[in-house]
Amino acid sequence: MAPTANDAIARLVFFYQNPMSDALAASETGMPLVGVTSNTVPWEMIAAAGMYPVVLRSEDGPTPVADEFMEPHVFHPRIRSIFNQIVSGRWPLKAVIIPRTSEQEYKLFLYLREIARQYPDKALPPTYLYDLPHSRSEESREYGLKVTFAFKEQLEAISGTSIALDDIARTITESNAARSTVRSLIALRCETPRINGSLALSLIGPFWSIPRKQYAELAQEAAAKLRLLPPLCAPRILVKGVSTDDVTLHNILESFGAVVVSEDDWWGERSAGKDISTAGDPIAACFAKYYSDSPSPRTFPGVVADSWFEERSRAGIEGVVFYLPDEDYVFGWDYPRHKNFVDSLGIPSLVIRDDPRRMKTSERSRMQNWVEHLPKAPQS
Amino acid sequence: MSEKQLASTAEASAHQKEWFAQLRREVFERHQPYAIVQADMPFELFQVMGVPTVSNQWWAALVSAKRLAPRCFDELNARGFHDGLCHYCSLPLACTFAGDSVAAPWGGLPKPALISARLTCDCIQRVFEIWAQQLGTEFISIENPGAAELPPRWWELSRNQWEQLFEARRLDLTVNQFRVLIRALEGITGRRFELSALVSLMERVNRQEEYFDEARHWICAAPKTPVRITEQITNVMAAQWLRGTDWAVEHAKKFRDEIRTRVESGIAACPQEKLRLMWVGAGLWHDTDFYTSFESRYGAVFVWSMYLAFGPDGYIRYGLSDPLRALASRIVSMNEQLHNPPWANEWIVDQAQKHRIDGAIVLIPSGTRSAGSGIRFVEMGLEKVNIPVMTLVADVVDSRSWDGQAMRKRVEKFIEERLC
Repeated sequence: MAPTANDAIARLVFFYQNPMSDALAASETGMPLVGVTSNTVPWEMIAAAGMYPVVLRSEDGPTPVADEFMEPHVFHPRIRSIFNQIVSGRWPLKAVIIPRTSEQEYKLFLYLREIARQYPDKALPPTYLYDLPHSRSEESREYGLKVTFAFKEQLEAISGTSIALDDIARTITESNAARSTVRSLIALRCETPRINGSLALSLIGPFWSIPRKQYAELAQEAAAKLRLLPPLCAPRILVKGVSTDDVTLHNILESFGAVVVSEDDWWGERSAGKDISTAGDPIAACFAKYYSDSPSPRTFPGVVADSWFEERSRAGIEGVVFYLPDEDYVFGWDYPRHKNFVDSLGIPSLVIRDDPRRMKTSERSRMQNWVEHLPKAPQS
Repeated sequence: MSEKQLASTAEASAHQKEWFAQLRREVFERHQPYAIVQADMPFELFQVMGVPTVSNQWWAALVSAKRLAPRCFDELNARGFHDGLCHYCSLPLACTFAGDSVAAPWGGLPKPALISARLTCDCIQRVFEIWAQQLGTEFISIENPGAAELPPRWWELSRNQWEQLFEARRLDLTVNQFRVLIRALEGITGRRFELSALVSLMERVNRQEEYFDEARHWICAAPKTPVRITEQITNVMAAQWLRGTDWAVEHAKKFRDEIRTRVESGIAACPQEKLRLMWVGAGLWHDTDFYTSFESRYGAVFVWSMYLAFGPDGYIRYGLSDPLRALASRIVSMNEQLHNPPWANEWIVDQAQKHRIDGAIVLIPSGTRSAGSGIRFVEMGLEKVNIPVMTLVADVVDSRSWDGQAMRKRVEKFIEERLC
């Protein structure tokens, strides 16, 4: 399936709603697809190996294969969905690369390896671990750098071609251009928002699923059009907590008159981050980017993990939604600290524990009431 | 509480209590440092530096056994931490929060000089960071690199081929982080770390685990188990937390001897033993009587838990020319060995067969979600070799959602329908 509209905004929204469409089209022309599971696998290195990196998204609906092998209450719905997709052979993947960005993903790696071992007839794509640590220490940094150099060799083995450093430098340039356009879109949400959060997520999301060069062109065109929109006068909300690749929570909040201007999440405002350095060794530059400027639940110490949130909270918002659904057993540890912080700034906050896709009416009413009592955003 | 059949069990319990009283005296009266650490930490480094360690999990078990967990977690929840967060590793933190409102076991934990944990799951860094702040102490973390190669039958390789088994890159990182920990311990104690002292300690740990290995062989070989798992756990863990000390080595020997004597004398823990059960998962600390509940009616005896078996299979390391590296190999994969495929399921199936297990009760730890992985593979592996499995959802430290009677009925039904 290919997008029919020529409009950049419509095309990006299409790619958000159909995240595998471009990858599948590329696969039909012989391009090898590499599925990755989150934000800390260097896109630039996979692309430099002549392969098509695509971040696997969750799909709503039953996960019968995952239900057979994965325990309830241990794995997040997104991880279950990805497992289900891979084991059921839904996509023609040449390989799957899983970073050590969360314990959930590490377990996913071990589970996939076990399925491949016990059920060779399922013919799973080979699965690799990119063991990038996220604690900040000299030892972790040294380890992560070594692992990233080894990752290049791994990619060469997967692709069957050697990767020239110039090729990585080229894909870094492409990727940086895409990062720059993501930042242009984000600028349309900050201070004086012109686009709502649901649209913003839909426009940013394809950063993870289509080639960066294509993304940069589309996002640039989209940003130019959206810049002409009038400002939205609504209370500005930041969403913090469990990562979500779905717009439902944003839709609900915005249906009550708020605008979600930010999320501390790699699916949203934290997707692009800063550019990758173009000076020096490109592999080391990739490592530096993914180690130091990519959100992960494993970032440690807390003061490092909190810094982005604290800075963004000070940059003009009227409310914070802490999204801690049933599957959360990590971010709830941060919540009291973060709540104290936003309290100290006089910013109201709300905890959401329900899955927005199956939210109770009473919970929706509570959200509505909260939004309606938020301070008004300052007039631009 | 069920009767204690072994003299060594009473000795182990008494020793733990006295050891802790001594620890409190040393800390309060002589201002000696001690540390609180996660169970998968290199206790040996602390031992060599003369810094006593309290295991977070051991303390959680004690708090739970005193039935204090509900009040502690109420306190945690009142501070804004939601009730879906992990309980096992956070109960001691919750107990710290509760402060004087609960009478902590044995007078409570004094302030440690440091706390330390390996960054296994994504929440442990958070729990320990919050705890360090609450205690006003330092938190030292050790990164947990992932295993990319997991060859079959790890327990046959881990004693001698540990360098290959646990991957050089992972050992390199772990050793480098050990050095940071050692520097911190040197700073706290004013003493210099001696590698030769670590070698001696590691040798003694090997000896201790060899005794446990022999005890396990006696249990396997006996027609009926000579010791219940509750007593296995008391004896083994009292020694493991102090592993390599003279007391621990001597106690392991005593335990082995007592088991051997019982087997040679034909003494069974439950003379009417008909069915041999296996408990997969952490101990049910708030209701340890559960384990003996099926003896009188069905002759169903819990023979195996991981606590005894993991000592010899997980800890013994031969070839100590680089003791720090050997020590790194001891701890670097505990998470994979106990909670994740393929290593956890393969090992448990092997243990079940060696122990002639008739049925397994597999814990789904509701209060420790990260440790709840690998269970489906364990279930499937056991069923594949015709060992029926019953899964049981429980929080190992928090009794609030535990209906002991209903759970016993479920196990009885399982025994009647699948084992009898």
